[in-house]
Amino acid sequence: MAEEIYQLSATEISSRLAAGKLTSRAVVEALIARYHQLNKKIGAFTSLDEKDVLAQADASDARRKTGKVLSPLDGIPVAIKENIAVKGQPLTCSSKMLANLVSPYDAHVVEALKSAGAIIYGRLNMDEFAMGSSTENSAIQKTFNPWDLARIPGGSSGGSAASLASGLVPLALGSDTGGSIRQPASHCGIVGMKPTYGLVSRFGLVAFASSLDQIGPMARTVADCELLLKVLATPDARDMTCFDSTQRSQLPVATEKSLRIGIPKGVLGKGVGAEVAAATQAAIDFYKSKGATIIEVDLPSSELAVPTYYVVATAEASSNLARYDGVRYGHRSSNAKTPIEMMTNSRSEGFGPEVKRRILLGTFVLSAGYADAYYVRALRARSKIRAEHLAALEKVDMILSPTVPTPAFKVGEKVSDPLQLYLEDIFTIPANLAGLPALSVPCGKSGHLPVGFHLVGAPLSESKLFAAAQLFESAHSFANQQPTL
Amino acid sequence: MAKGLDIDHLAKLARLNLTADEKVLYSNQLTQVLTYFETLAKADLPAVSDVAMVVSEKALRSDEPGMSLGSDAVTKIAPASHDGQISVPRVVDDES
Repeated sequence: MAEEIYQLSATEISSRLAAGKLTSRAVVEALIARYHQLNKKIGAFTSLDEKDVLAQADASDARRKTGKVLSPLDGIPVAIKENIAVKGQPLTCSSKMLANLVSPYDAHVVEALKSAGAIIYGRLNMDEFAMGSSTENSAIQKTFNPWDLARIPGGSSGGSAASLASGLVPLALGSDTGGSIRQPASHCGIVGMKPTYGLVSRFGLVAFASSLDQIGPMARTVADCELLLKVLATPDARDMTCFDSTQRSQLPVATEKSLRIGIPKGVLGKGVGAEVAAATQAAIDFYKSKGATIIEVDLPSSELAVPTYYVVATAEASSNLARYDGVRYGHRSSNAKTPIEMMTNSRSEGFGPEVKRRILLGTFVLSAGYADAYYVRALRARSKIRAEHLAALEKVDMILSPTVPTPAFKVGEKVSDPLQLYLEDIFTIPANLAGLPALSVPCGKSGHLPVGFHLVGAPLSESKLFAAAQLFESAHSFANQQPTL
Repeated sequence: MAKGLDIDHLAKLARLNLTADEKVLYSNQLTQVLTYFETLAKADLPAVSDVAMVVSEKALRSDEPGMSLGSDAVTKIAPASHDGQISVPRVVDDES
C-alpha cells in the first residue's frame, strides 16, 4: 500500500482524518512540499496560495476537534481548473485576455466544496478558454505528462490530470465540452467523469459552448471520483439547465443484475493504436468473464460527431466570447481611440491563435448564407446522434470504447495541424452532443504511457457507470498509479 | 462548401485584426476544416432538429430579489472606471 501522504487516495485520507491518524495540516504541508519539488517540472498548477490553504486546513482541523466535521471531504484538498470561479483568486482561463482578472464570486461547485469543508487548493493550467486537447494553448505555461515529460498531458483539463498523476493533489475539478476531462484522464492514467448535462451547475464556469459544457470530477480512483461528484451535483437555480431536486430524485441506482455492455461496430478498427485496441479488448473480455452480456451496437452517425461538434461548439464559442470586448473586465488595449478600435484591438491582443481560429470558424458557420448549410445541419445531426445513442442505451446499460485512439503524443507534434488535434476527441464528443454521462478509467499501458477505456451511459446513470468502473478497478492494479518522478 | 470563405469579412464580423500571415494561415486551416465538414452536407439528416439544448429548459425561474455584486466589486475588475461607473473611449461625437 502507498504510504507517502501524496500517494494516498482521498478516501484513504478521509478515513485517516476520521481516525485521528492524520491532520489536514499534515496533508497540506506534505502537498506544498511536493508542489515545490515538482510543479516547475510538470507545470500543472498556475498558482497556489500557501497561506490560504494552510489556514483552510487549520480551520478544518479545528472543526474536527469540536466534532463539527462537515462531510467526508472536510479537510481534503481539491484543486480547481482556471476557468472555474473562486472568490478572490485568479480566473485567467489561461488567457492573456483575463490575465489580471480576480473573481468577485464563487462558482456553485466551489460554494458546494466550501460547504463540505474541502480545501480549495490552487489553480490548474488548461488550454486557453478550454479550447484544445493538449494544454499547449495555455498563455501562461506548458504542462507536461508526468509519465513522459516530453509528451502532452491531454487537454483542456491537462493541469487537472497532471496534478493528480504526479501526486500534487488527491482531487481536482475539470470541465468537459468535447472530452476535456476524459481525454487528459486517459493520457495521465487517472479517472475522470463528465456528468449528464444538467447534473452539475455551470454557474461560475466561464462559458465556452454552453449546450455542451459540464464541470466534472477527476481523481486517481473510481471511489474518489464518485465521492467528489456527490458534493458537486446539487440543484442551483442560477443555471437554468441544472436539474432541480424533483428531477434528481429519479436518479437510478446501480443494481446487482448482470451488465449489458454495448460495443460500437468497428470501434477498435481504423485509427486506433494496436496497444490501445488490445487494452480495450482486455477490458471487454474482463466484463465478459464477470458475466456481462456483450452486444454489438450500431451508431452509424458517429462519423458525423466530430464535424457536428466543431460546428456547434465554435458557433456557441463565437457568441459566448463576444463578451470579451475590453469594456467591463479583461484586457483593454491601450492603443485605441474609438470604442470599435478598443474592442478589436483588445480582442486581437488578448486571444491566442486557437481561440481566434475557433471564433473565426464559429463566425463563419453562423454567418448569413452559411448558417443553414452548417449550423442548422449540425443541429439536425446532433438530434440524430442523440437519438441513436438513446436507442442503443435501451438495449444496453452502457457503451464501451477506447477513450482516445492513441496514447499521448509529443509536445509540439500536432500544433500546426488543428484537424489532427480535433480527431483526438472522436470517442468522447458524442456524449457531449447527446448530453450523456461518460467516464474514462485506466486500463493498461501503451509502452510506458497510460491508456483508458470509456463508458457512456443513459442520462443520470452515473452510479451505474461508477459501479462498472469499480468492478474493473478492483480486479486490476491500475488505480491510484503514479510514475516515479 | 468552403467556397465563400472571405477572411477579411469574417475578421471584421469577429472584431479581430489579422496580420497578412495570419490571414493566409487561417484561410488555409479553415478551408481544410470546412472540407472535412462536408460529410455533414452529404449526410441523410432529419428535417428538423429537436435539440439546441439537450435538456428541457425551465424558461423562467421565480422572480425573487437577491444580492448582486454591487458597483464596487464590478468597477474593481473593470479596465477603467470613474465615480463608480465603467469608462470607455468617447462613443458620441460633440455636436458640431
